Amino acid sequence: MIWQDILTAMLPEHLLLAGIVLLIGVEIVADKPRGALAISLLAVVAAAAAALWLSSTGYAASPFAGQYAVAPATSLAKAIVLALSVPVLLMSRHEFADSRFHILLLSSLYGFCLLLSGDSFLTLFLGLELMSLPVYVLVLLAYKRRESAEAALKYLVLGGAATAAFLMGASFLYGTSGSLALSAFATALASTDRVATAGLVLVVVAFFLKAAIVPFHAWAPDAYEGASVPVTAYMATVIKAGVLLAAVRLFGTAPVSGRTADLVAILPLLSIVWGNLAAMRQQSFRRMIAYSSIAHAGYLFYAFLGDGPGRFQAVVFYLLAYGLMNLLAFASIPPCEDDAARDRLDNLKGLFHREPYAALMIGIAMLSLAGIPPFPGFIAKFLIFKNVFAAGYTTYAVLGLIGSYLGIYFYLRVIQYMFMSPESAPAEMRSSRGLALDASLVCLIPVILLSLFPGWVIGRL
Amino acid sequence: MSEPALLNVVLYLPVAGILLLLAVPREQESLMRWLSFAVMVVQLVFTVMLYSRFDSADPGLQFETRLPWIPDWGVYYHIGLDGMNVLLVMLTAFLGPLVVAGSFSAITKDVKLFYAMVFLIQFAMLGTFVAQDLFVFYLFWETMLIPMFLIIGIWGGERRIYATLKFVLYTAFGSILMLAAVIYLVYSLYTSTGVTSFAFTDLYKTELPLRVQTVLLAAFALSFAIKVPMVPLHTWLPDAHVEAPTAGSVILAGVLLKMGTYGFMKLGFPLFPDATQFFAPTIMTLAVVSIVYGACLALVQTDIKKIIAYSSISHLGYVMLGLISLDLLGIQGAVIQMVSHGLTAAGLFLMVGMIYERCHTRELAAYGGLAKLLPVYSVFFMILTLASVGLPTTSGFTGEFLVLLGAFRSAWAQYQQGIGYPLAVSVTAVTGVVLGALYMLWFAQRFLFGTDKAPHQPLKDLDFRERAILATIVAAVFALGLFPDSALQKTELAAKQYQQLVATERAKMGRSVQRVATESTTRSAP
Repeated sequence: MIWQDILTAMLPEHLLLAGIVLLIGVEIVADKPRGALAISLLAVVAAAAAALWLSSTGYAASPFAGQYAVAPATSLAKAIVLALSVPVLLMSRHEFADSRFHILLLSSLYGFCLLLSGDSFLTLFLGLELMSLPVYVLVLLAYKRRESAEAALKYLVLGGAATAAFLMGASFLYGTSGSLALSAFATALASTDRVATAGLVLVVVAFFLKAAIVPFHAWAPDAYEGASVPVTAYMATVIKAGVLLAAVRLFGTAPVSGRTADLVAILPLLSIVWGNLAAMRQQSFRRMIAYSSIAHAGYLFYAFLGDGPGRFQAVVFYLLAYGLMNLLAFASIPPCEDDAARDRLDNLKGLFHREPYAALMIGIAMLSLAGIPPFPGFIAKFLIFKNVFAAGYTTYAVLGLIGSYLGIYFYLRVIQYMFMSPESAPAEMRSSRGLALDASLVCLIPVILLSLFPGWVIGRL
Repeated sequence: MSEPALLNVVLYLPVAGILLLLAVPREQESLMRWLSFAVMVVQLVFTVMLYSRFDSADPGLQFETRLPWIPDWGVYYHIGLDGMNVLLVMLTAFLGPLVVAGSFSAITKDVKLFYAMVFLIQFAMLGTFVAQDLFVFYLFWETMLIPMFLIIGIWGGERRIYATLKFVLYTAFGSILMLAAVIYLVYSLYTSTGVTSFAFTDLYKTELPLRVQTVLLAAFALSFAIKVPMVPLHTWLPDAHVEAPTAGSVILAGVLLKMGTYGFMKLGFPLFPDATQFFAPTIMTLAVVSIVYGACLALVQTDIKKIIAYSSISHLGYVMLGLISLDLLGIQGAVIQMVSHGLTAAGLFLMVGMIYERCHTRELAAYGGLAKLLPVYSVFFMILTLASVGLPTTSGFTGEFLVLLGAFRSAWAQYQQGIGYPLAVSVTAVTGVVLGALYMLWFAQRFLFGTDKAPHQPLKDLDFRERAILATIVAAVFALGLFPDSALQKTELAAKQYQQLVATERAKMGRSVQRVATESTTRSAP
């Protein structure tokens, strides 16, 4: 029954859509719209649960043959990333009370789900754009700062360039293969045809741009700094996850070798090194996280060097660990009326004596991002480098590990500020508003579980 | 209690300690102190039970737990005791209560976090010793960084940030290369046998060409040699020791440095035996350079904490010399020396902390004639100094003597085969004993005798708590010096296993292949 398939296979998307419609309805009908947070939370949780259910029952179908397909593994990835957006919503409570934020966020998530199930260049592109476009507006929504406008514009222009590159590359690939199916990309990986190679390079560059890989990274620090905390958290986790998972969809299980291996290794290696080096000099927390995310994008692309089947597992596990860590850190940054002051690293000095819980949470997040055991960041990094070694790229693996060593200092610097420096924050820093305690707990519990039982998650991916 | 459960209880008691501390209200600092002390004492009691139940006639793992942890990667939560780690586990548990009691009066800031970090590092150190799976070992190994980073960085001296960053960045660099080697090693095991396993016993069977072995050993050795530390990778140690609070120094000297030598003994050498044979002269030379150079540096220090810090470099040089001698006595001596140094260095650092709490300076020139001013203090100090020098009847003697005996025995055997270098190196090592006596006794002379002076008078002699701590250590020092038999018995089988593992050629295309080739040609010749 095709209708039944469409209903079941796209259940997460339908639930998100229902949430959007409901939000718009409430906005139109009610005088003072309330409950936007509740509606969107409900929609996201229901969608995540639906995706989890689809994956656990092993549901696989392609209701629109050649365009849209659902498999248990992709459903699980959907569930994970949808669940990651729950803390974002909880964090946003103080910043964005109106439903605009929620409608945009749910639309972006809808795009994410679409791209993950996309089976052709068309649906993949549709999903990618639907995911990215609302974020340009979301960055602008932090209108309190003038930099937000500049950041949003930069992000928009570079995002547009990425879109153009992607379309150009996809049309080259279409020209050589005569098909819009994703398998055209895998064929191009092995092909020596010049047009196919050009298409391949353009598509990869588009992903590098969207994932902020050196030298296409310049937009990220500005956009991360200009946006407000929940939006930055959203960009660093869900958007990054979307871009990387789209790339995994494209590469599939096709092996990379020779020049293609260099293509997915050299620039990411540079990103690891440069992201970690540049992060050392930052004075703003969000800029630092932006550079850190540039480095992490590098590790993530390293996963493509590994063998095909392990690639999906490595990327999803990494995104889960990395997303949780970023969200934990962002949720624990103590609130402050002045957004720019909240962002300054100096204001974290002595935080342990002011807010011990927040300092411990940020500390755990930093250690995990640095890849120091026993936190899940280490297991995730181990998984990726294990695959790279297993594929025989020993030199790249060792260089990448040394690059990751460069990152340890700036993560430790945050801990040094919080625990070892005397308090320097001015009194007006303190806000009546409490921490986003629920958001940080929603992240902390999975972090602990992931540290204790990583095998359980890895076995299911 | 069933046997495996006992080891797990010992391992996880510190974690329970952290959870208990979390429940204590922030103001109740003395409750936190006594609670931590009680947990450490309970841990020691259980460890003594472990130690006494340890069967020295059983060559295998005892108190073993093996549960699948990450089945997809062949990672098992695998812990157990053998002759190699049983003494070190005992040492760690023994120092635990002393570290806690030793910082009762010294730590007044962030008390809860401090004891939580002491528990965390205790947990990580014990875990590193008992781990029998390389992945689990690496996890615990790296986890040690975090609490030490905070202990030095929060409760340390003036230049604590510099010292703690230096410590972490040094050790983390070693660890990163070790991680690369670990992954490569496990992958090699997989390609040669089709088994993905991190178990030490499986990895001991990996066959690698000599060239690969040397690279991997270099990566492991870098990480371990930084921890030991061996000259020239030692420069972080004086900074870390001087800036660390007393408890940090005690943990660092007492147990943490042994991680490096334990790593060589459990992993570095047995995993890559051919490379070890190949590098043996180099490692031996570095060990002796550490002995002599560390002693020379200790001789010229003016800061009392630095004297003991440099003496640690020298003492751990003996451990390395014993391990690389591959002589049974030398290996056993190395293990005894590890424990002995753990006791004496911990005691001396505690004593430096006690005098620092009274006078707030560590300048040697500021002191003199303490024998008159602080008689009880001086007696304890003299005993520990003599133990550190290696006076017979103390543990220091047993360790150093056995190491030198072993080194000479193996060097002599090689000399008779026409290889004179090890003998020359071993002779040089003996000068370290003389130098050691020189710097420690000279230090004691200037510190305890001569004109009476102290920066802060009148001085109060040791109180009951301090006397109890030092008396416990001194008792252990004599016990190990007078009755080393029990300890030697427990290590004997493990030392033999280690000797055998390192002596077995395992290179795929190294010496063994060449020998097989020559044998076959000689056989086919007639």
